[in-house]
Amino acid sequence: MTPVSSKLYTDDVSLLMVLIDTNPYLWSSMKNTAFTFSKFLSHVLAFLNSILLLNQMNQVVVIATGYNSCDYVFDSSSSSMQRAECLLEKLEEFVDKDETLSQEDSVDGVGFSLLSGSLSMALCYIQRVFRTGPLHPQPRILCLHGSPDGPGQYVAVMNAIFSAQRSMVPIDSCVIGSQHSAFLQQASYITGGVYLKPQVSDGLFQYLSTVFATDLHSRAFLQLPRPVGVDFRASCFCHKNTIDMGYICSVCLSIFCKHHKKCSTCGSNFGEARKQDPSASGQRRKTPDGS
Amino acid sequence: MPQVKIVARNFMDMVASLPAVKLDMLYDNSFICEAILRSLPPLAKKYVLQLLYIDIPISAKSMEESVLPDGFSKHKVAIDRLIQLRVMTETFDRKKEAMYQLNPKFQFNLQKHIVHGGVLPREPMPSNITVRLPSLEELEAYAVEQWECFLLHLISSSEAGKTTNISSSMMKVFQRGLLSQRDEREPPRLTESGFQFLLMDTNAQLWYIIREYITNAEERGVDSADLIAFLLELSFHVTGKAYNTNTLTDIQRSITKDLSDLGLVKLQQGRKESWFIPTKLATNLSISLADTTSRKQGFIVIETNFRLYAYSTSKLHCEILRLFARVEYQLPNLIVGAITKESLYKAFQNGITAEQIISFLQQNAHPRVAERIPSVPENVTDQIRLWESDLNRVEMMPAHLYDEFPSRDVFEAACDFAREYGGLLWEDSKQMRIIVKADILTEMKEILRRQKQ
Repeated sequence: MTPVSSKLYTDDVSLLMVLIDTNPYLWSSMKNTAFTFSKFLSHVLAFLNSILLLNQMNQVVVIATGYNSCDYVFDSSSSSMQRAECLLEKLEEFVDKDETLSQEDSVDGVGFSLLSGSLSMALCYIQRVFRTGPLHPQPRILCLHGSPDGPGQYVAVMNAIFSAQRSMVPIDSCVIGSQHSAFLQQASYITGGVYLKPQVSDGLFQYLSTVFATDLHSRAFLQLPRPVGVDFRASCFCHKNTIDMGYICSVCLSIFCKHHKKCSTCGSNFGEARKQDPSASGQRRKTPDGS
Repeated sequence: MPQVKIVARNFMDMVASLPAVKLDMLYDNSFICEAILRSLPPLAKKYVLQLLYIDIPISAKSMEESVLPDGFSKHKVAIDRLIQLRVMTETFDRKKEAMYQLNPKFQFNLQKHIVHGGVLPREPMPSNITVRLPSLEELEAYAVEQWECFLLHLISSSEAGKTTNISSSMMKVFQRGLLSQRDEREPPRLTESGFQFLLMDTNAQLWYIIREYITNAEERGVDSADLIAFLLELSFHVTGKAYNTNTLTDIQRSITKDLSDLGLVKLQQGRKESWFIPTKLATNLSISLADTTSRKQGFIVIETNFRLYAYSTSKLHCEILRLFARVEYQLPNLIVGAITKESLYKAFQNGITAEQIISFLQQNAHPRVAERIPSVPENVTDQIRLWESDLNRVEMMPAHLYDEFPSRDVFEAACDFAREYGGLLWEDSKQMRIIVKADILTEMKEILRRQKQ
C-alpha cells in the first residue's frame, strides 16, 4: 500500500539549484565573442521562468559562483521573488562584493571560480529541504560553468560530488566555456546527471529547455545526451597538479605526484622499500573510477 | 453493483471538448495558456518547452527518437493530450509523415510570458489605502466556513444554521444528481453519487461544483468560455490581496458574487469602492487542474478495535462520518464512533464503496497517525473490504429464459449461437431450456425466426 502522502505531490515537481558562473575574468575573456554575459543571462532568465511556469510548485534557487565567493542570489520560494528577473539586483550586489574581495591584481589566464563552494551551498540547501519532512520536490543541481577547473578545489569538489551521489541528487552540467571541464564530467557521470557542452552558444536556451528542463520523472522515458568520454584524471594533494600517474597512500587513498616519507593527510609512514624500486610497488596507475 | 462514479477531475477534458474556435479564443489569454500548460502530463510539458522557439513543423519521427522503449506509451499519451487540447497541431507532409507544430497563439503567449512575465488585468489594492484586510488565517477560516456551510446546505438545508445567498434555483442545479426527491412531502435523500461526493476531498468537490456551474452557464446567459477564462485567471491572483471590483465586467461581478458564497473570494465593502479578495480555494483552482490535492490537516484516528476518533468541531465532518460509522458521542472538539458491520452495510447500500471509505480515512488521517504506514490499521481496511465483498456474492444480470423449443435441432442451434456470442448463462438440455444474457436479445430473435422457417 502506498502512503497517501505520496499522492499529494505530482511526479514532476522539482527543486532546481542553478549555479551560474560569474567569474569576471572568464566573461571579460569572452567579450570579443558574440556570447556576452548579458546574452547568457537573458537565456538563463528565460529558462528559469519557464521552469517556474511548468508547475506552480517548482522551486528554483540560483547560486552565483564568483571568483572569491559564492552566494544565493535567487530563491523562488520567498514570496517577494516570483520571477527570475528579481535576481538581477542581487546578482549585481554580489558581483560588486566579489570584486572588492579581490586582493591580487594580476591573475594568470582566466582564473578559477569557486565551484566547490557553490556546490556545497547547493547541497546544504537540498539537505535542508530534505529535512522539512517527507514531502519535498525532487532536487537536482545544474551547473552553468565556464571557468577552467581549479586544481586547488579538487578535494572539495570530489567530496561534494560524492555527497550528492549519496543523497541521490543528480548534477547536470552545461559547459559554456571553450574547454571541457573534467570536474563536471566526473560530477555528472558519478551522480547520473547530464553533461553537455553546447556546440552553438547562441542557442543556449534551446539546449537548456530541451535537455536540462527535463524533470527527473520524465528522464526515465527519454534518451538524454550521454557523455562521449569522461576525463577521470585526478589532482595530486600536494601541488594540486592534474596527473596521469601518481602515488596513492594505501591507508587513506590520498594522491601525490611525488614520493613522500609521510602521508600529509593521514600521517601514515611510508616504507623505505618503495623508494628503491618505485616502478614495482610505489607507483600505481590511477584507477579509472576516479576515486 | 451499479457503477455510478462522479468524474471529478476531468476539467481539462471539458476544456478539450470545447469547439476548436472557442479553444483558440481561450488561448488569447496568456493565463489560460499557463494553466493549460501546468495541467499537462510531465512529458507533454517538456515537449511544449522544447518546441517553444521552433517555428517550423517538427517531424514526429525526430521526436520519437529520444524516447526510450519503456516510455513509448507515455510519449503517446503526451502527444495525444497536446493534440486534443489543440496546443499542438498535427499535419502531414508530402511523404505522409506526421509533423507537429505548436498552436501559434499558444506559442506566442508563452514566449511572451517567459520573457516579459504575465500581467494581471488588475492591480492589487495599493497599500496606502488604510483598510483592514483579513489575515491569511482568517481568510482560510472564512473559506472553509463558507464551503462547509454550502455543503451542509447542499445535503440538508434544514441542518445548516447559517443561510447562504445562493439562489435556490442555483442550489437545485448543484443538487441535481446528488439528491433525489421521490415525493414532494418527503425530504430529499442523498443519492449514491451524493454520498460519493461527500467523501471526496475539497478540491475534487470544488471542481464538481464548478463544473456544474460552468455547464449551467449557458442557461444563465453567460458564455462558458468566458467563465472558464475568468475562473482560470482568478486562480493566478494572489491570495489575500484585495482587488477592485471596478476592474470586472458586469458578468464577472455577478460571478464573483456566486463565488463568494462558495468561499472562493471574500467580498469587502470599502467606503467608496468594493474589493474582492481571492481565498486559497480560488488560487488552488489551477492546482487541482493537475492531479494534485492541497495538503490539509487530517483529523481522524482509527484504532485496530474499529473505534474512530475524529478531532473536529465541524458539523459537516460529523455528517460525513455518520455515512459509514456509528457515532457514539460527541465532545466539543471530538467525535467518537465505531465502524461496525451494520453501519458499513448501510453505507454500501447507499452506494459508497469500500475503497472510497478507506481512501477518505487515509486522506484525513490525523497527523500523528499519518506518519505511520499504514495510517489506517490493516485489519480495519481488510475487514471493510471483506464486508463489501460479502455483499457482492450474487451478481445480477438481466437475462431471458427460452423454453418450449419446437425441436432439439433448434435448441442446439440456439445454444451454439448463444455460446458463440458469449451470452449463454445456463442450459438444461433435458428440458430444453436456456437462459441468455439480455444484450443479445435481438440476435437471438433473429436466429430463432430463421430456424422456424
